[in-house]
Amino acid sequence: MHIACNVAKMAESTSESAVEAGPQAATGVISATDGRPHGSPLAAEMASISKSFYGTMAIDAVDFDLRWGEVHALLGENGAGKTSLCSVLAGLYRPDDGEVSVDGQPVSFSSPRDALAAGVGMVYQEFRLVESFTVAENVALGDPTAAIRLRRRRLERKVADLAKSFGIDVHPGRRVGQLSVGERQRVEILKLLHRDVRILILDEPTAVLTPQESDDLLRTLRQMADEGRAIVIISHKLGEIQSVSDRITVLRDGRRVGQVDTATSDRRSLARLMIGREFQLPERRDTGRSRKPGLSVRDLRAHSDDGTEALRGVSFELARGEILGVAGVAGNGQRELAETIAGVRAATGGEIVMAEQSLDVTNLPVVDRTDLGLAYVPDDRKGVGVSPGLPIADNLVLKSYVHPPFSRGPLLATREVNAHAQTLTERFDIRGVRSGMPVRLLSGGNLQKVVLAREISGQPKILVASYPTRGLDLGAVAAVRSILLEQAQAGTGILLMSEDLDELLALSDRLIVLYGGRVVGEFDAHEVDVDHIGLLMAGHDADEASA
Amino acid sequence: MRSVAIERRPVPPRWFTVAVPIVAVLCAALIAAGFLALGGYDPIEVYRTMLETAFGSRFAITETLVQATPLILTGLAAALAFRLQLWNIGGEGQLYLGAVVSSGLAFALGDSLPAAPAIGLLLIAGAVGGGLYALLAGVPRAVWGTDEIVLTLMFNFVALNLINYLVFGSSSAWRDPVTSSFPQGRFLPEVFDLPHLLDRLDIGVLVGVGAGIIGWWALRRTRWGFEFQVIGDSRGAARYAGLNIRRKIIQTFFLSGALAGLAGAVLVAGPLGSFEPRGLTIGLGFSGILVAAIARFNLLAVLPTAVFVAGVTVSGPELQSIGVPAPAVVMVQGTILLFVAAGEFFTTYRFKRVARQGVEKHEEAVAV
Repeated sequence: MHIACNVAKMAESTSESAVEAGPQAATGVISATDGRPHGSPLAAEMASISKSFYGTMAIDAVDFDLRWGEVHALLGENGAGKTSLCSVLAGLYRPDDGEVSVDGQPVSFSSPRDALAAGVGMVYQEFRLVESFTVAENVALGDPTAAIRLRRRRLERKVADLAKSFGIDVHPGRRVGQLSVGERQRVEILKLLHRDVRILILDEPTAVLTPQESDDLLRTLRQMADEGRAIVIISHKLGEIQSVSDRITVLRDGRRVGQVDTATSDRRSLARLMIGREFQLPERRDTGRSRKPGLSVRDLRAHSDDGTEALRGVSFELARGEILGVAGVAGNGQRELAETIAGVRAATGGEIVMAEQSLDVTNLPVVDRTDLGLAYVPDDRKGVGVSPGLPIADNLVLKSYVHPPFSRGPLLATREVNAHAQTLTERFDIRGVRSGMPVRLLSGGNLQKVVLAREISGQPKILVASYPTRGLDLGAVAAVRSILLEQAQAGTGILLMSEDLDELLALSDRLIVLYGGRVVGEFDAHEVDVDHIGLLMAGHDADEASA
Repeated sequence: MRSVAIERRPVPPRWFTVAVPIVAVLCAALIAAGFLALGGYDPIEVYRTMLETAFGSRFAITETLVQATPLILTGLAAALAFRLQLWNIGGEGQLYLGAVVSSGLAFALGDSLPAAPAIGLLLIAGAVGGGLYALLAGVPRAVWGTDEIVLTLMFNFVALNLINYLVFGSSSAWRDPVTSSFPQGRFLPEVFDLPHLLDRLDIGVLVGVGAGIIGWWALRRTRWGFEFQVIGDSRGAARYAGLNIRRKIIQTFFLSGALAGLAGAVLVAGPLGSFEPRGLTIGLGFSGILVAAIARFNLLAVLPTAVFVAGVTVSGPELQSIGVPAPAVVMVQGTILLFVAAGEFFTTYRFKRVARQGVEKHEEAVAV
């Protein structure tokens, strides 16, 4: 929320009241700032588009129009059909039904290449880059007008000029494999600009960015729109949508449920449109300070999968009943921290102490830590959190099957296992379960409930929750958050990692910021300065950040 | 424009598992009938003979079961390893080593023990021989992550040459000392002969069926089986739950090899009666992989599958006696097995006509 306001401020100060100027620019039909006149005031028009996959309607008779010079936001929950709609416009999917026209001309793209030729390009959530190629080579890749001989120098200069003209910060000669996620995204955008794309679609572009990177990106998008291009941005972050867009189209369950001018919209009604009911973050409870000690982590060190040092001396205390949020851009040691505490990854130094028993668990196997009351919700639900091919009952006893009543001696007590599943399915409202069905067939939210149900049913003293709401729709997000809050209330100390700063602020009692494998800041959640956290997340050191 | 896409069935309907193999056999029979007719043979006559030789009489049935016995054991061996995502294709060599060790023990013990303990020891020796031989590939796999496909495959040749050396290349204890003109394997002492149930059918079949049922039950109802299933399904989840994957890999390699080794033991003490290379080295380990694949690596399903495969192959000599040449016989058998194996594809996947698309990415569809 705070970040978003921030962007709005910046947008105002940098490009003379960009947000307000947007709609006017759009109505001025021939705003040919990019050098060519437009044939129609509408950059793209989609009429009654339907698309189904395997009998399920992804989008159902959706109308959508896009003006030149505007940033048009597509808002909706996961699975609302945003990506499908955009993929139709970008030529990736052919609609089952409906008409698409670009700049007044009816089109029928049979591949993204056709769409590119018509000036429509999309940046997907998963980047499509060749890691061993340089930035410039990636930009030139697939360009039908490229000469047979690759003239590296000239190409790099050209890409550098292009980047500069849009205020995009990249080094054309660097290999993509060495770039950060944010930088790679810029390469994807440059690729499209290089192909002279005038309708640019971005699928949740800020999901992987730091607040500062997001600000830069949104500013670039605004600039491109002001120059006459049309931008579609898919997002479910209300704040950033409000700060950057001119109009907002809301999708729900594959249908268009609203289209509003951003200037006249308010967050509450947008949220209601998006999820079909009032949505609110759970109230953060104000628990007292008299908590029992839970977990002490001192100078913890560990390596990442590729053998580099991922944790370089992390220390913190976590009390029972407290939620300690870990802020940071993914890849700064969160995963290693969670795995090392859980016992899945070996620590190379430091110690992890279960404070209540004052027991050093640093070198104990997973099973013993579980018995001591340590639970872990991993970030990779399907690959790690559950055994996807086994039924829900087996998954719910994944860690407790060794103990009675689930096993007697070497035998498994199938009846108790099934009864346990029955109980937890009801208690955690896990839907879509059929007996014997592999758990992988559940939806993401229900799968996460299975993981949470299992971890919490052991009455843990400490719970490490790694991105527990990632990729879930808002309904499931709310369920997961309230489960976490309830569990904290019941006395479990929770270490919560999340990429959603708003979520961390809403749930946590305290926050630490992880950067480069170190704790670079610690805050009380009541008195945080979001700008400060953002700077710390982006790697500015503490002095610089507070200065 | 429309084209055809392949998608995974969420859950294959239950009747499929029965209907698909039946339809596959019928299709195969139809196609093979065309070839037979082209060659001037009466397909009806051929199929009637096949059915009769496999299941037409008491003798036919017991003979099919005799052939099925080693296939059950090598099929179980492959199914068990494959379930844990261990590609043990060394059942062939492990069977040989089971035969070498069990018959070696028999030659060493001679007639010194009564039949019951003698046969018990023989079976244990076969299992241990095959199991330890499998560990030659299994331990490197568990400890260093070596490729078990290459190792198990290569160890088949080592075992084959060991057998040839024992019988043809040396005057070892395994070579029959009586006939010196043409070398052959030595006969086991009489106490080791497996008791017969009916005609030529001996208790080896009980060993196979027992192993299948116990294995199937153990995977479903024991803690060991639970851990096995988790590790076989998802290494990530297993590591997360703190299971000892390395130990399970070693145990499974041993058990898989032991089952193949048992096949070797029940062969030398059963229908062969001797350590006879010509009877041992007929590809039973590899056929076991086929059996396991058709049974979709379900230990219980291995039992009827092995009987079916044996039934298809048992009729060879009889068909040749009615004038169908050996290559045509192999072709008919091959067509049937190929169709049944391929039919499994349709239980797991289905075809669907879809609109042509560029890069396929069905995120929304997967969410269903």
